[in-house]
Amino acid sequence: MSWWLVRFSRSGQARYLSHLDTSRVVQRTFARAGVPIALSQGMRPKPRLSLPLPLPVGAAGADELATVEVPEGVEASTEALRALRAASPPGVDITGISDVGEPHPRPQARAAEYACLLDGDAGAIGAAVERYNHTEHAIRERVSPKGTRRLDLKEYVGDVVVTAVEGGARLGFTIAHRQDGAARPQELIDLIAEWAQVEPVMRGLERRRITWDDVPLHAPAGRRKELSS
Amino acid sequence: MRKPPPGCPDLSGDWPPGEIARLLARVTRPGRYTGGEFNTRVKAGARPRIVLSYPDVYEIGVSNPALQILYSHLNDATPAFAERAYCPWPDMADLMRADSIPLWTLETFAPVAECDLWGFTLPHELCYANVLEMLDLAGVPLRAAERDGDDPIVLGGGPAVANPWPIAPFFDAFFVGEAEDHLDAVVAALAEDGRDARLEALAAVPGVWMPGRTQGPALRQIFSGFATSDPVLRPVVPVLEAVHDRAVIEVMRGCTAGCRFCQAGMWYRPVRERPVDLVVAAADRLLDETGCDEVSLLSLSSCDYGGVAEALTRIRRLRPGLRVSLPSLRIDSAAESLAGFAAGQRGSVTLAPEAGTQALRDAIDKGVDEAQFEKAVRATFHGGFTGLKLYFMIGLPGETDDDVLGIARMAATAARLAKEIGRGRARLSVSVSSYVPKAHTPFELEPFAGAATLRDRQRLVRDAVPRGVRVSFHDVAASVVEATLARGGPGTDRLVEDAWRRGARFDGWTEHFDARRWEDAAAATGIPLGEEIVARPYWRDAVDARLSPEFFADELARARAGELTEDCRDGACAACGVCGGEIGMEVLT
Repeated sequence: MSWWLVRFSRSGQARYLSHLDTSRVVQRTFARAGVPIALSQGMRPKPRLSLPLPLPVGAAGADELATVEVPEGVEASTEALRALRAASPPGVDITGISDVGEPHPRPQARAAEYACLLDGDAGAIGAAVERYNHTEHAIRERVSPKGTRRLDLKEYVGDVVVTAVEGGARLGFTIAHRQDGAARPQELIDLIAEWAQVEPVMRGLERRRITWDDVPLHAPAGRRKELSS
Repeated sequence: MRKPPPGCPDLSGDWPPGEIARLLARVTRPGRYTGGEFNTRVKAGARPRIVLSYPDVYEIGVSNPALQILYSHLNDATPAFAERAYCPWPDMADLMRADSIPLWTLETFAPVAECDLWGFTLPHELCYANVLEMLDLAGVPLRAAERDGDDPIVLGGGPAVANPWPIAPFFDAFFVGEAEDHLDAVVAALAEDGRDARLEALAAVPGVWMPGRTQGPALRQIFSGFATSDPVLRPVVPVLEAVHDRAVIEVMRGCTAGCRFCQAGMWYRPVRERPVDLVVAAADRLLDETGCDEVSLLSLSSCDYGGVAEALTRIRRLRPGLRVSLPSLRIDSAAESLAGFAAGQRGSVTLAPEAGTQALRDAIDKGVDEAQFEKAVRATFHGGFTGLKLYFMIGLPGETDDDVLGIARMAATAARLAKEIGRGRARLSVSVSSYVPKAHTPFELEPFAGAATLRDRQRLVRDAVPRGVRVSFHDVAASVVEATLARGGPGTDRLVEDAWRRGARFDGWTEHFDARRWEDAAAATGIPLGEEIVARPYWRDAVDARLSPEFFADELARARAGELTEDCRDGACAACGVCGGEIGMEVLT
């Protein structure tokens, strides 16, 4: 058995998939391409595949990552990459595969860069961003079935960049991923929208870059093989 | 980043279009409205443009095999470009109306109203309000009489067309039966110049019913080449989780088991089987094309497919580890089937005794006895399946309280075996639906049980079923609406339109069905709900299902006498009227 790091982008129609749907799409793309995925043990074997950093519904991702275990003898070849690209659905593009051998790589995201559009008065949105950038704390409550958690957005999201566009503003920001988790893009947008008194609806959310702690640093020497389009 | 599929409008990276993207950012499950599935077809500039619809939400509609057949055939074997649209969920519908965005297609995000032909497959009566919802959201006039040259021709098909009257004025035409042999003719008709000429040409296609342009009832069409044709090999594979997330091979069409309540069993006659070699080859190709890890051998009664054991064995040998499912198991053959089928399979099995006593099961021609039932339940749990669902109906013609209590007795038997064999791991559930008499069945003119009786009988079952067995019932009020529409005559369309205007939609969904809308519509239109008796079989004025009235009369008499009718594949011909003549099937004697 051997682990592959699979780099892919998600855009267009595919941006509206959920995390589980995206995972299933990658799995089906492998099956259609004739590239087998190793199965877990047990009564109901499952494909050994994971997407370490979920992409929100509605978000495009320029450089996403999946880890996939393949049976012994399956090579991360140019042919395999070509077959995967041909087998993927519109909006999903497999851009690279690399064989990192054993053990199971568990990439940890350190930071992710986002951009999105927010409709409304660009001046008001700009003022809200300015206020955010100068505030010391920005406390939000995250309500889940497990309870309510208070988090300070300023601990996770640094300065926000704002540019006026027709009908609204384009925002750019980087979210830090820490041991205790990360803020969500929607949580930042909710706050900016509240201060700017606009509808908290992101359009065109895009994750442009992810900084990983562990990719692909732990690949064994002599085994690592990287291919990209 | 990849560009939109070839042939789609150049949107300079703004894909989907901005005004649609604004809506998508505000709704639940936006992936319902964006397509982008595996095997989606986009034929740039192709004419005519056809939109195919299933009037329910995406997750239900995308699993419909009929739409997959039409989509594949139209796109791959005719010059037409077929796209799809499903019924927007209420949150999206509200936003579309507020922003004046008309219903779009999943393939190109083009307005549905710009197509040449809009085809609906109509699975059941409780989706009729959704048809009006979709027409309205697309900006297409609700009634055919109000449409003009720029509007698409709206064509209805599917099993609910067995009685088209409650929706007739909303459609320009209906296609009755299986369309495969006539899709070329439908496409050719759309090449005519102008709406009127197109309708005239369409009226000449066999199986089309178009009041005012066709004479008498339309003859139900039967796909003559079923047995020698490939099943759908490149289906659209949903990227969003759908209700049926697996590859499907239609191995057999039609069923001659003869259950007297079953509209599908009458409607899809005669039985036609695809050869095992063709099925196995199709499975291989289909799994490559879809990437699915489960294949379903689809038919109305897959255990009756002559090659079921061989097909299962060969497909498993071809693809070790593949899950194979048979969606319909007959109790009389289930024990044998389950024994061969269970290897490597887990999950649950559904068995449908339909009625609680031998007398009533004989009356509906189900025939299975207690011993066969017990054997099937044992085989289920011995086979390692951990879930068993029993399916029954109440409100059947001639039903007594004892028949209803028989449901509880059978549930008790199954519960005992679950405990004995399943050793606490086995789950048992009982589903009880309300029988609604349907057109073109031997019971088509039998009385509908009515709301009060159905509620009494639900209570009887609920009180008698052993504790620990989960029982679910169909909403009686929804069954009353279904019964009204299933046998409704000319003019019933006013009820459908009035209920839709009062907010009725997604009536097949418990959380959306609101009986008051239909009751108010009934009061406003003067069309009563849930009448026990219908004056006459109005549906025969529109549809000739090829089933003889004498056959129905004979079957009804046998039902009342508690006599079974043999499956004509095993025994004597019941003279239902379907075989022989142009169908080319030899009548067995």
